[in-house]
Amino acid sequence: MNKKPDLLSIQDLSISFGERKKKEVVHKISFSVKQGEILGVVGESGSGKSVTALSVLRLLAEGGEITNGCIWFDGMDLTKLSESEMVKIRGDEISMVFQEPMTSLNPVLTVGVQVEEMLLLHSKKTSEERKTAVYEMMREVGLKNPELIYSKYPHQLSGGMRQRIMIALAMICKPRLLIADEPTTALDVTIQAKILALLKELNQKHGTTILFISHDLTVVRNLCDRLIVLYDGQIVESGESRDIFQNPKEDYTKKLLAAAEIVHDSSLGRASITSSVSDAILEIKDLKVYYTESGKRIFQKKQRKEVVKGISLEVMQGESVGIVGESGCGKSTLAKAITGLISDIEGEILRKEQKPQMVFQDPYGSLNPSKRIGWLLEEPLKLQKGLSKQEREQRVEEILQKVNLPTEFKNRFPRDLSGGQRQRIAIARAMILHPKFVVLDEPVSALDVTVQAQVLELLKNLKQEFKLTYLFISHDMGVIHSMCDRVCVMYQGEIVERGRTEDVFQNPTHDYTKQLLSSVPK
Amino acid sequence: MKFYIKKLITLIITLLFVSFITFFAFQVIPGDSAVAKLGMDATEEQLFELRESMGLNDPMFVRYGRFLKNAITGDFGTSTQYNVSVGSLISERLPVTAWLAALSVLFMVVISLPLGLLCARKENGFLDRFLTFLSQTFMAVPPFFLGIIITLIFGIVLKWFIPGKFIPISQDFGGFLSYMVFPAFAVSIPKVAMLTKFLKTSLLRELSFDYVRTARSKGLKKKQIMTKHVLKNALIPVITFFGMLIADALAGSIVVEQVFNLPGMGRMLVTAIANRDFSVVSAAVLYIAGIVIIINFIVDMTYQKVDPRVRIS
Repeated sequence: MNKKPDLLSIQDLSISFGERKKKEVVHKISFSVKQGEILGVVGESGSGKSVTALSVLRLLAEGGEITNGCIWFDGMDLTKLSESEMVKIRGDEISMVFQEPMTSLNPVLTVGVQVEEMLLLHSKKTSEERKTAVYEMMREVGLKNPELIYSKYPHQLSGGMRQRIMIALAMICKPRLLIADEPTTALDVTIQAKILALLKELNQKHGTTILFISHDLTVVRNLCDRLIVLYDGQIVESGESRDIFQNPKEDYTKKLLAAAEIVHDSSLGRASITSSVSDAILEIKDLKVYYTESGKRIFQKKQRKEVVKGISLEVMQGESVGIVGESGCGKSTLAKAITGLISDIEGEILRKEQKPQMVFQDPYGSLNPSKRIGWLLEEPLKLQKGLSKQEREQRVEEILQKVNLPTEFKNRFPRDLSGGQRQRIAIARAMILHPKFVVLDEPVSALDVTVQAQVLELLKNLKQEFKLTYLFISHDMGVIHSMCDRVCVMYQGEIVERGRTEDVFQNPTHDYTKQLLSSVPK
Repeated sequence: MKFYIKKLITLIITLLFVSFITFFAFQVIPGDSAVAKLGMDATEEQLFELRESMGLNDPMFVRYGRFLKNAITGDFGTSTQYNVSVGSLISERLPVTAWLAALSVLFMVVISLPLGLLCARKENGFLDRFLTFLSQTFMAVPPFFLGIIITLIFGIVLKWFIPGKFIPISQDFGGFLSYMVFPAFAVSIPKVAMLTKFLKTSLLRELSFDYVRTARSKGLKKKQIMTKHVLKNALIPVITFFGMLIADALAGSIVVEQVFNLPGMGRMLVTAIANRDFSVVSAAVLYIAGIVIIINFIVDMTYQKVDPRVRIS
């Protein structure tokens, strides 16, 4: 593989952002991608990896500018081409798959039309030939019934299917270079494994060179031939991916690897749990949760759909119980029923003491963007009578310190904070009423792996300090493994397997659990 | 199907409600058709007799029921002011107002769409700033005042049309249209200003979304991205706003008809209210309400066409 010529070669590339005050985010990096290989670019968010990828297609956001260096592709310097010359290269020679397949597709056009548009732009095929080609490509990326899917809109497809559409779109013109920017980050772990396999297959079948960008080392491990580790706009390490995994040379790479292990490792921070276990803080007996779908025809009754199909569960004081399963299995619905956000339920939910607090997945969407952090944290306190303004403010400052954020943050808005900081705020909000029991719904799924590790550490510390009980919901087996004493595996609204985390991970009995465990990237 | 039936029922209920409000309003305001017809000097006896013969002395709900029964059969009675049937009165005037409104809506679309696109493509360019300034100004000017200015500039100074003149449709359709253009401009220009600004904001918002980046990565040119991808998305909020503006344009045309001396529904309505000519007022109000509701229905349908996410399954 090493003897193959370079397809893409980047030399001394610098990228700056900002109109008046320029800030350099990528500092003179150089690397090359050989014909037919898969090169992984790894780094946490803000390391400049996405910016570098976008600059290859000259798609930098407003204010972004290549300030130095060349990008050689097939004998052309892409930085010197005019916009009209770039238009011919985009999609045809180099194409791109983005992180979030929902927002990356146009919501008001059918996915078929969006894939076909590529051929309309870059080929001289007739309308009939284009359709056939689209169907064929859809089949190739693993979409059954392409004729049916052609006329679907993005919101009618699942996340995995949407990402397959994105890949079909990027591959249909048989580009020589495919840039994949975190293509699996927004997906469930089972679907993630399938998408990675698909990319590998396309690489082998068509010889497409792939530039794969990710924050997750475990994802790139099996896929990529070579790796580049980016930190703060500079390459800190590069080489064969096997070597980097076995002998990381730089501290930062070691840190990344260690962070990946915290998330996927169990040994940390589960001490002193069994000692404090006493009686049940939550008892669920044969719980069924429904939600209503409006009828399709005029005289049809509204349909009640059973999402959680008879679950019994006990959570003891002081323990952490994990609920794991892929999206759509009913785990979030269960959490909402427990916290009282859904009332259409059958069966019994016995809660000891007050209603549990909840931390949601999306730390941006669940914080009101027009309110300051201080206000957001104070709000639950206002509902409790008998606290003066000063007492409330004191409590806010106290909790900010507990989640390791400076107290000045109370004057900021959610948009001023990074994803990890926002999630700390969400946790602080849940903790400010000093609850005994907290339900965490995918609290780290939207975060980078290094930030994930920090937030998990924080949760562990808070648990010890306040003697909390957690019900921890996640699709990520690694996270569950590191956080929970017991785990319940949910599949299609039912608990298919339960037990001590260690036992379930070492001896899974149910097929679905085995499948979940095997798709964890190792 | 369910959707259409729902809409139809809403339409009927709204019309009933409007008819009752109109009827009730006429009970509350002082004076009635009898007073208007006989003048202020009429004796109480004369008034009583005329009221008796017109059925105005019956209880309110009886009169409302009678009015409703007649209205359903399409008979709005006789205008007390002109002594001709309301039906024929309206059939003469409705086309004038309908054409005025239609032309105004046409101008609104044809002018604001390209302007909005232009402003969004060259944000903060000279043209954008100039148009933003213009639209701020025109938004603040009421249509009747604009009507006066247009009459002054195009009628009196440039002599492109004779102020106060009107050519009936039956006589010369081309001439009719050419005389409608100026009042239509007076109605539509403030709305064009609003629509342009709204569309521009919506386009700029859409431009920041991820799918635009995808479209660029596909190799689409900026212009193609605007027309093929962004515009359809950006139109979604604009359509709702547009529906409200159409209703507003109808209301605006009532005043503008006065300024340009057009024999449309608006002028008829104003004189009819002054003369307490209830039959004419109620018919006119019901017609206008009906048109507004139908336009809203069309807007709802278009909305669904444009945004697949709200499509009924």
